[in-house]
Amino acid sequence: MARYNRFADGIFDGALSRRDLLRLSAAGVLGGCWSGWLAPLASQAATDSRRRGSCILLWMNGGPSQMDTFDLKPGNPNGGLFKEIATSVPGIRISEHLPQLARLMDHVAIIRSMSTKEGDHARATRFVRTGYRPVGPVEYPTFGSLVAKELGRDDAELPNFVSIAPYRAIAPSAFAPGFLGPQYAPLIVGETAPTNNAGNNDGDDNAKSGDDGLQVADLAPPAAVTTATSQARVKLLDSLNTRFSAGRHQRPVAGHVTAYQQAVRLMRSGAAGAFKLDDEPAALRDAYGRNRFGQSCLLARRLVERGVPFVEVTLGGITSNGLGWDTHADNFDGVRQLSEVLDPAWSTLMTDLKSRGLLYSTLIVWMGEFGRTPKINDNAGRDHYPQAWSTVLAGGGIKGGQVIGRTSADGSEVEDRAVSVPDLLATVCTALGIDPMKQNDSNIGRPIRIVDPKAQPIREILSKVT
Amino acid sequence: MEPARPQLAVGNGAEVFSAPRVTSVVQRVVAFALLATIPSIALAERSSAPSGAARLDPYQLAARIDVLLAASWQREEITPAPPADPAEFLRRVHLDVVGRIPSVAEVRAFLADESADDEAHRHELVDRLLRRGAFAANFANVWRDLLTAGAPDAAAAQMGTPQLETWLRLRFTENVPYDQLVRDLLTTPIARPDDTAQATPVGPSPLAFYAASQNKPEQLAASASRIFLGVQVQCAQCHDHPFTDWKQQDFWSLAAFFQNLQSDTAVAAAPTIAVPDLNTTVSARFLGQREPTFEPGETARDALARWITSRDNPYFARAAANRVWHQFFGRGLVEPVDDLDPSNPPSHPEVFELLAEQFAAHDYDVKYLVRAITATRAYQLSSRSARVAHAPPHGDASDDAENGSSGDTNADAEVRSFARMPIRRMTGDQMFDSFVQATALHEDEMPISQLLFGENSARDDFRRKFADESLPSTQAATSILQSLSMMDGRLTADATAFDASETLVAVANAPFLDTADRVETLFLAALSRPPSSDELDEFCQYVDGGGPQQDAGAALADVFWALLNSAEFVVNH
Repeated sequence: MARYNRFADGIFDGALSRRDLLRLSAAGVLGGCWSGWLAPLASQAATDSRRRGSCILLWMNGGPSQMDTFDLKPGNPNGGLFKEIATSVPGIRISEHLPQLARLMDHVAIIRSMSTKEGDHARATRFVRTGYRPVGPVEYPTFGSLVAKELGRDDAELPNFVSIAPYRAIAPSAFAPGFLGPQYAPLIVGETAPTNNAGNNDGDDNAKSGDDGLQVADLAPPAAVTTATSQARVKLLDSLNTRFSAGRHQRPVAGHVTAYQQAVRLMRSGAAGAFKLDDEPAALRDAYGRNRFGQSCLLARRLVERGVPFVEVTLGGITSNGLGWDTHADNFDGVRQLSEVLDPAWSTLMTDLKSRGLLYSTLIVWMGEFGRTPKINDNAGRDHYPQAWSTVLAGGGIKGGQVIGRTSADGSEVEDRAVSVPDLLATVCTALGIDPMKQNDSNIGRPIRIVDPKAQPIREILSKVT
Repeated sequence: MEPARPQLAVGNGAEVFSAPRVTSVVQRVVAFALLATIPSIALAERSSAPSGAARLDPYQLAARIDVLLAASWQREEITPAPPADPAEFLRRVHLDVVGRIPSVAEVRAFLADESADDEAHRHELVDRLLRRGAFAANFANVWRDLLTAGAPDAAAAQMGTPQLETWLRLRFTENVPYDQLVRDLLTTPIARPDDTAQATPVGPSPLAFYAASQNKPEQLAASASRIFLGVQVQCAQCHDHPFTDWKQQDFWSLAAFFQNLQSDTAVAAAPTIAVPDLNTTVSARFLGQREPTFEPGETARDALARWITSRDNPYFARAAANRVWHQFFGRGLVEPVDDLDPSNPPSHPEVFELLAEQFAAHDYDVKYLVRAITATRAYQLSSRSARVAHAPPHGDASDDAENGSSGDTNADAEVRSFARMPIRRMTGDQMFDSFVQATALHEDEMPISQLLFGENSARDDFRRKFADESLPSTQAATSILQSLSMMDGRLTADATAFDASETLVAVANAPFLDTADRVETLFLAALSRPPSSDELDEFCQYVDGGGPQQDAGAALADVFWALLNSAEFVVNH
C-alpha cells in the first residue's frame, strides 16, 4: 500500500503524451534507417547504470528435435533428411534451415549433452521450467519468477516478468510464480493471438501489422472517464481492499490486491508504450518475420530495452499455438517450417540487440522440455527423448562459438559432459549475476534454493566478464 | 500382515476390488499405521452398510460429521473459526449452490429475518436454492469444466461444450442420480466419423468429453479413471506406475474398453487393444481384475460403465463424494481431489467413509449431499481465523503475498482440518453471473449459430479472460490483465456509467432514499452486506461531496465501480 501512495497524482493523460515527448526529443527523425533513429535511445539504455541485465527465454513447446536442429548426424541411419551447414565458427555445423543463426555462431554456445529422465510433457515442462521435479504440495516457481525476484525492481513500471504467447494448458503451474507469490506472476500477453499474419495492408486493421493480440488490452479507462475520476475511484478501491485484507492474507485476496496495484502502475506509466510495435520501422518488423513469433521477439527486445529482466517467448506452432515441436509424425516438415520461423526471428533479435549495445547484457536461452528420438518412427516422426538433447545459450554472460558436450554417433546417448537441468539453470543464473544457491521461503515451511544444490554451473560456457 | 488398502465394500461385498499394494517399505508402514488409527466405529458402520439399514437424513449426517470433526479439532488442539455472520453465510451458500450472489431483496429479507441463524431456516433456504434452475446451471458449469479440463486438445473440446453444458443441465434439473449420469455419459452413442449428420450435434450431448480426449482409448481410460474413480493410472501408460502397482498392461487393458467407440453391437468376449512400444495386444480387463463379465446385449462401454458405477466399486462413491465436498469446502477430504491412492489417505477417514456410504445409500442423490454438507457447522464457519492476533501488521503487498502463500502453517492446519473456511476465488462463470446479478446487466440472447461456433457472447469473453483454472480456487490469484479488464473493460464501463446501468439508475433516482440508503443499496448489491459504520461515513462523505465531477450521481457510480473491483467481490469468503 505504501508503494501505491507514492504514485504522483500527476497530470498524466495517457501514453500518447509520453511518446510524443520521445519523438520530439529525437528531433523529429522519423523513418529512414532504423538504427540511426534509435541511436540516442540505444546509448541511453545501454549506459543506464541501474541496468542489471535481462534474460530472454525462447521456449520451444513440445520438445524440439535436436537431431534436426543443433546436433545433426548426417551419414548415420538416424540422420534424417536435413543437411548440415557450416557456421561462422569453423567446426560447428547446424541444420541447413537455420542459416541466419549460423552466421551469428560466435555469439552462440550449443549444449549437446542435456540428459534428463522426464519424457512426459507435463512433468518435463514443470521440471525444466522450475528446475525441480514436481513433487507433492511444493509449488515451485517458474524460472522467470525467480529471475524477476532477483533482478527486478519493486518500483518498475513494467512488470518484471512478461510471458508472450504462452501455451499453458499442459502444465499451467510451470508458468506460475508458485510459492514466491502473485507479485512475481508474469504479465501474459498474446495468449490468444493469431499466429500467422500475412501482413497485408488491405485496410483491415487486424491483418495489417501481424502484432494483433500482442497488445495489452484495456490499458486505458474508457474515454468518458477522466483522469481525476479514475484516481478517485482507485482511492475508494484502495480503502475497501485495505479493510477487507486485514486478517485475510490468503492468496486470492493478496493476489487480487497486488495485481490491481501493478495494473494501475502499468496504466499510469508511459512504459506501456513498449507494446506499440507500430513504432518500429516496417523493414525491421519484416526482418523479424510477420508472424506471431517474429513480432513477439521484437516485443521482447523492446521490453528488455526498457529494463524488464525476464521475457519469455513461446514458439508452439505455425498455424496454432500448442505443442508445435511435438513431431511424432512428419517430423521433417514440421521442424523445417518451425525453423523457418525461428531463424529470422532469433537472428534479428540478436543483431537488433547488438546494434543497441544490449546483447552483452541480455542472455538468450533456447530450449524445450526434452529432445526427440534418434530413431525415426513409422510416421516419419520422432518421439520423446530426454536421454540426450540440446539447448542453446546466446548473448551476454557466456562465451559464444563453442559446443559443450557430445552425443554418440547415432545420437542415442551422451558420450561427454552430461548436463542436467539444474546445471543449466545454475549456469544461466551465474551468467545473469544471480547466486543460484540463494534461498527463498517456500509454501511447505522450509526454504528452497533457486536451483537444486547439486547443480554444477558449466564453467566453460561462462564468459570471464560477467 | 497385508497392509493393503481396506476392503471397502459398499453392498454385499461380493466383488471386492482391492487397490494394488503400495510398493515401498515406508509406504507400507504408513498405510499400516493409518489403518490402525481408523476408529472401530467406522468399521462397525461399514459392516451394517447395506442401503436402507443405516440411512441418515441429510441433517443427521451433518450432525455426525460435525461430531467427528469436532473430535479431530480437539485432538489436534485447533480452535475452530467463529461462525460466519449471516450475510457471509448467505453469499457463500448462494455462490456454492446456484453460482451467483444473492439479490439485494434476498439479502435484505434474509438479514431482516430474526431467525436467520436458525438451523431450520437455513435448511429451507438451501431447499429453495436447490429448486432453482440456477442450481442445475451451476452444477452443469462445474461438471462441464471437470469433464473437459486438462484436455490435450482443448480446442476440439470447446466445439462441443455448449452441448455438454446443456446435456448436464438437463440431468441436474431432473436430479438424475449421479451413477445414472455417469453411465449415460460413458455409454452415449458415438457417430462414425463419416456420419457427418451426427458429427456435431446441435442438441444436448456429452460428446465434448470424448472430444477432449481426442476419442483415443488411452486418454479416455485415463480421464474416466481419474474423474470417476479418483484413480490416476495415466503414468502407467508408458511405463509401470512409479508409486503403486499399476502396470502398463493394467492401463491398456482398461483402455481396451474404449476401442471401437462407434460400435453399438454387443460383445461376447473382451475386446483387445494393441499396446504401443510393447508389440503385444491385451484384452480388456477392469482394473485389478482377472476377467470382465459381459451381460447379454452389452457393449464394451456398457460393461465398463456398469463396473465403474457398481455398488461394489469402492472408488466410485468415494470419488464423487470427495468432489462435492471439495466444491463446497475448497478442499477435498482427499487432496488432490482426484487422487484416491492408498498412499494418499483422507484427512478425516471416518467422515470420508460416512459421506461416501450415505451418498451410495441415498442412490447417489446429489441434492442429498448438498443438503447435508451445507447443514454442517463446519460449512458455516467464518473465513477469518480465531487467531486474529497472529495477523501481521498491514504492510506491502509483498508481505501479504508471502504470508498468503507460505509461512502461516497454523492457518493452513485450520483449513486442512475444516476448522476454517478458506477464501476461494470465484470461477469465471460465478464472476460473470454475480456481476450480472449485481449490475442488472442484460445478457444477450445467443443465437444457435453462435452456439456451434462458440465465442462471441459477453459471457464467453468474460469466461475466457477469467478462466485461469490452472490453479485450485484457494490458490488462484487475479492477473494483471484481468485487473485491467475489470477496471477498464466495456462490461464494467456499461455497469458503472451512471446513465446506462440499471442498478445505478435505480439507486440514484429512487426518490425516497437519502445518501446513506443509496450507498447501502450499492453495498448490498455488490457485496451482499451492509456497509460498516466507518465505510458508511467515508462513502457518504464522498457521495455528498460529489467526487471530481461535482455530481452525486457520478460519485455513486465511482462507489459502485470500487465495490465491483474490490477483492471482496471476486472471492467466495
